[in-house]
Amino acid sequence: MPEFTGRRLPIYLVLDCSGSMSGEPIEAVRQGVKALLADLRGDPQALETAFLSVITFDSGARQVSPLTELMAFQEPNLEASGSTALGEALKLLELAVDKEVKKSTATQKGDWKPLVFLMTDGQPTDNWQAPADAVKARKLGNVIACAAGPGADAGPLKKITEVVVKLDDLQPDTLKQFFRWVSDSIKTTSASVAQVAADGPIDLPPPPAKITIVP
Amino acid sequence: MTKRTATTKDGKPVEYVEVPDPPAGGMKKVYFSPDKSYVVAFFHDHQASTDANRIARLDAVLGRFNPTSDPEAGEYWKRLFCWPTGVVTRPTLGVVAPAYPPGYFFETGPFKGKEKKGKWFSSPKLRGYLPDAERGDWRNYFQICILIARAIRRLHQAGLAHSDLSCNNILIDPSRGLSVVIDIDSLVVPGMFPPDVLGTPGYIAPEVLATTHLPVRDPKRQHPNARTDQHALAVLIYEYLLFRHPLKGPKIFSAKSAEEDEHLGLGEMALFIEHPTDQSNRPPGLKPTVADLGPHLADLFRRAFVNGLHAPNDRPGAIEWERALVRTWDLLHPCANAKCPSRWFVARGPKAGPCPSCGAKPPAAVPVLQLRKEVRPGQWMPDGSLVVHNGGLGLHHWHARDNVFPGEKADRTRLGYFALHQGKWLLVNEGLDTLTSPGGSRVPPGQAVELKPGAAFRLSQDPHGRLAVPGFLPN
Repeated sequence: MPEFTGRRLPIYLVLDCSGSMSGEPIEAVRQGVKALLADLRGDPQALETAFLSVITFDSGARQVSPLTELMAFQEPNLEASGSTALGEALKLLELAVDKEVKKSTATQKGDWKPLVFLMTDGQPTDNWQAPADAVKARKLGNVIACAAGPGADAGPLKKITEVVVKLDDLQPDTLKQFFRWVSDSIKTTSASVAQVAADGPIDLPPPPAKITIVP
Repeated sequence: MTKRTATTKDGKPVEYVEVPDPPAGGMKKVYFSPDKSYVVAFFHDHQASTDANRIARLDAVLGRFNPTSDPEAGEYWKRLFCWPTGVVTRPTLGVVAPAYPPGYFFETGPFKGKEKKGKWFSSPKLRGYLPDAERGDWRNYFQICILIARAIRRLHQAGLAHSDLSCNNILIDPSRGLSVVIDIDSLVVPGMFPPDVLGTPGYIAPEVLATTHLPVRDPKRQHPNARTDQHALAVLIYEYLLFRHPLKGPKIFSAKSAEEDEHLGLGEMALFIEHPTDQSNRPPGLKPTVADLGPHLADLFRRAFVNGLHAPNDRPGAIEWERALVRTWDLLHPCANAKCPSRWFVARGPKAGPCPSCGAKPPAAVPVLQLRKEVRPGQWMPDGSLVVHNGGLGLHHWHARDNVFPGEKADRTRLGYFALHQGKWLLVNEGLDTLTSPGGSRVPPGQAVELKPGAAFRLSQDPHGRLAVPGFLPN
């Protein structure tokens, strides 16, 4: 029997790196990931439980960082170009979760339900409906989708998850606040994860001023 | 950064420095004073200002339940609790509390500046990231546990319950063997103010977790109280001494989901990983075990996690933990291996070694004083023992007499020390007025008694004075 070292809380950041993110916004995302990592590495609960992966999408989708513990995590190189293949990203997310997240079985202690933060600033340019339905139907994890900036379409995101937030703009300060909220959400979840009922919603901290919850 | 002034309930000004993103917990956001000696913590919930119940609770916590205003031991309790010192009502409701002393922030390593929450030290994964100097030796963890048990004993003695005792609400400093209980303002005054929270995962008592699905007012619903504190205290002590959780083992309680498995495994179906007969939750190759902590603690852990796990009334009280830890402290012996990660072990008998942490044997037999108290004239009963070594803290009032407890009010003056001199172990008298040699003659301060196997001597001729019988535990 392998030694049981504790359940992991898998965190997937699914980030839109399409051409419209180039310049200031992609730089703000880089800084956001850096700040998120620094913040979580200072929180004992998160550091023990949370594992992080980054999936990016433009004209295609790539898992730029596999699911890794926080201290060993290497910041990915994020570049913005191309279109918005949301469907590809969702398919890749499903594959990654199947491969990386341990299931609960009669002989194995499973990981906690993954926490997915999906951020996009535009409209999907590929066939996204079927992958969105699959993610929703399989209850892949607690998915928080973020429509970032004026060009983002919350409609498709609503097909993926109930929890959709909107960022007013793509200003560095707004993105900074978004990543801080992501960090707070991860810290809250890693501290309270055992109290959550299997099918129940997780309790997220209230979002800051420039982030609104899309009803 | 702007200097602001809050106003206490009785109208006094309290200065604090407003910053854009203050540190915040679940209930409050925290601002420092200009000199950083105290903090002002405001409740997030603006309705708190008009919540008469909350204000009455704060008054009770600051007033009649406040151990730091105890005339005899107040200064002692100030080191064990970060007790609020005032209530502010403007701009909104908040509490004033001392800032944590500097020892409770990491001084070196990757987490420099972070608060030393217990989790950093009890999780094997996180311990691996810490510099050696921050980890502390094993004896310091015993001292930390004594201080925590003592603090909780004091709360319970006053009729209070903590209700959310966990590694997050206690800061520890293993490099110096110190601890401080924080977040005091959510204390539960039984019968007066119900608890705000369920507790922290991992520390919530099984009966509380097993009834969370019931409505809050349901009579079967179990709420945090002093007995659930006793569960959390036992978990904390187990974690700080053995660096693992007492209920998290390999047993699968539900194949449906991690959430359900955990809920059952810490609640309704919770099973001690060291259960003496049901081995189904025991991790393979488990060591050291509670037996390695000596008889006093092994017994209490069995009561807490076997008998009392699902029977709250059978759980040991904080005073019992304090007493058992103090007695076990007297059994600690330094490990002969300079590279041993623990550097101490419990010489529990019948042999003194080997060290359960690294396997090293002591180089020679270990002297031990069996202490006895007089129950009827001339009739002496065993009453603890004291393992003798050069690095010991020596002999104190609570060893010399059976009616002294080494609590908050004890006189901590050393009365004697042990030394190995020309191959003989000696007790050198420093302050024992009536130390008497095995032959019956007085041994004044400055002189010594040789410890010879079986040669009993009186530590004190007082009515409560103890008899000491030297023995040697084979290595």
